[in-house]
Amino acid sequence: MLEVMWKYDFLQYAFFVGIVIGFLAPVLGVFIVVRRQAMIADALSHITLTGIAFHLYLAQSATFLQTVHPLYMGMGFAVAGSIIMERLRNVYSAYKELAVPIILSIGIGLGVVFLSLADGFNNDLFQYLFGSIIAVSQGDVWLISVVALVVVLLLFFFYKELFFMSFDEEQAKISSIPVRSVNLLFSVMAALVIASSMRILGILLVSSLSILPVAAAMQVAKSFKQTFLYAVLFGEISVIAGLITAFYLDVAPGGMIAIFALILLLLVLSGKKYDKIRRLR
Amino acid sequence: MEWTFIERGFTAALIIGLIAPLVGAVLAVRRSSIISESLSHVTLTGISAGVLLSQTVNMVSINPLYTGFVFALAGSLIIEKLRQTYSHFQELASPIILSAGVGVSAVLMSISPSGYGEWYDYLFGSIVSVTKEDLIFISVTAGVILLIFSLYSKEIKSVSFDQEFARVSGISTSHINFIFSLLVALVISMSMKVVGVLLVGALISLPVASAMQFAKSFKQLLGWSVLFGEFAVLIGVYTSYHFNIATGGMIVVILAVIMLAAVVLRKNSMLYRLLNR
Repeated sequence: MLEVMWKYDFLQYAFFVGIVIGFLAPVLGVFIVVRRQAMIADALSHITLTGIAFHLYLAQSATFLQTVHPLYMGMGFAVAGSIIMERLRNVYSAYKELAVPIILSIGIGLGVVFLSLADGFNNDLFQYLFGSIIAVSQGDVWLISVVALVVVLLLFFFYKELFFMSFDEEQAKISSIPVRSVNLLFSVMAALVIASSMRILGILLVSSLSILPVAAAMQVAKSFKQTFLYAVLFGEISVIAGLITAFYLDVAPGGMIAIFALILLLLVLSGKKYDKIRRLR
Repeated sequence: MEWTFIERGFTAALIIGLIAPLVGAVLAVRRSSIISESLSHVTLTGISAGVLLSQTVNMVSINPLYTGFVFALAGSLIIEKLRQTYSHFQELASPIILSAGVGVSAVLMSISPSGYGEWYDYLFGSIVSVTKEDLIFISVTAGVILLIFSLYSKEIKSVSFDQEFARVSGISTSHINFIFSLLVALVISMSMKVVGVLLVGALISLPVASAMQFAKSFKQLLGWSVLFGEFAVLIGVYTSYHFNIATGGMIVVILAVIMLAAVVLRKNSMLYRLLNR
């Protein structure tokens, strides 16, 4: 494995990016799950596809855009999507949970139309949907490093506020925490992480890395801090195992990573069940 | 009588434009619209498994729509199970199933020897590809759905609005909940050929979201949803054929425009009323 790693630059890039998102996605995932917004990751990733497709469409006529990374447009759309989602929650105040499926389906629908217009229905689309190891470039490495730095700094400075709000938003509001701006900040952070991890994971599988490891971690962790530790551990294991197997079997890395995360979750669940039965005896 | 592909496509689209918003309206009232997203992604796993099976084993030739349906049904049962496991975080069940479904199907698709192009029809829909068997499958499932709907309309309504009350009045909620999952699984597998797996959710949730802006009763909600659904499907199919754009995508864009108009109209009428008070 190591020899191959040194031989191909793209493998080094892919592993670097993979390890960084294996950390970022589960950490944000814990907040997402505790805030009961588990589906938000999917909605944001689908709207990222719209941005990328829009970029591809524009780049056909505006040639200067061809040099720009399509992920920037994707990030912009994801951030805008998270703001629109907040607005929709106000419009459908009696049915707040409708906002997510609305954004999700409009996101992918518009994305498909832009892709059709841009003649993007080829193998590239498959890479966007399910991820690709080969597509990871040096530009992606820079992008993910900057995003990681920003997100870690933000988490470091706003950890207390986020922690407080995640468990009791009302109480946080009373204790004069600027709930709305922290919410917005969190959405932007989620949008950034989701957009930058879609190179490897693919749009349809971005959420798997921020949900499945957290779901597994919740079963074993005894405190909030432990949930973070276990989630990151499970995330990194699935990313590394997923990337290696995807490379050797020549399958979509997003799919392999999701399957490893799923296997870990199933192991944890069955282990817990076995434990319960043993204790009953 | 031999139909042309465009006639088949339009008929299929009309049936789906009726059924999907109908089931969608009930789902929205039950606050479980998101289930359609996760089940549709599981259906994708079933389809890829079905296609892969008929490619590798020569004897078997199954319509992937059937395997898709079976997987969707299994997925809905697992979701119920997961809800019990994560009793404090019930909303986790949907994304878990969703990512698991897409993950497995991504790998199955990569293994399959066929090119990527074939998958796009399943992912994003294409009316051109609706065969005679597909049309029969769609009509039969539509009939079954309508039958279940009319047989259980009272139970469905009461379970949707107040589960506690329904349980007290002697309706078996778990029984009705299962029938619901069955309905959703049926709708998803029937609309897949036209709108595509990734876009079924739009036809289920967007018409209702627009209808909610106008409807004053549950009946009106059903009526408006179906109206918006049919309108979007017809225009979407027509424009997608003429401009050569994926059918599902075009339908969703029309639905999004309808919803935007509905929200804006509603807002303005509120403004209007405020000004004239």
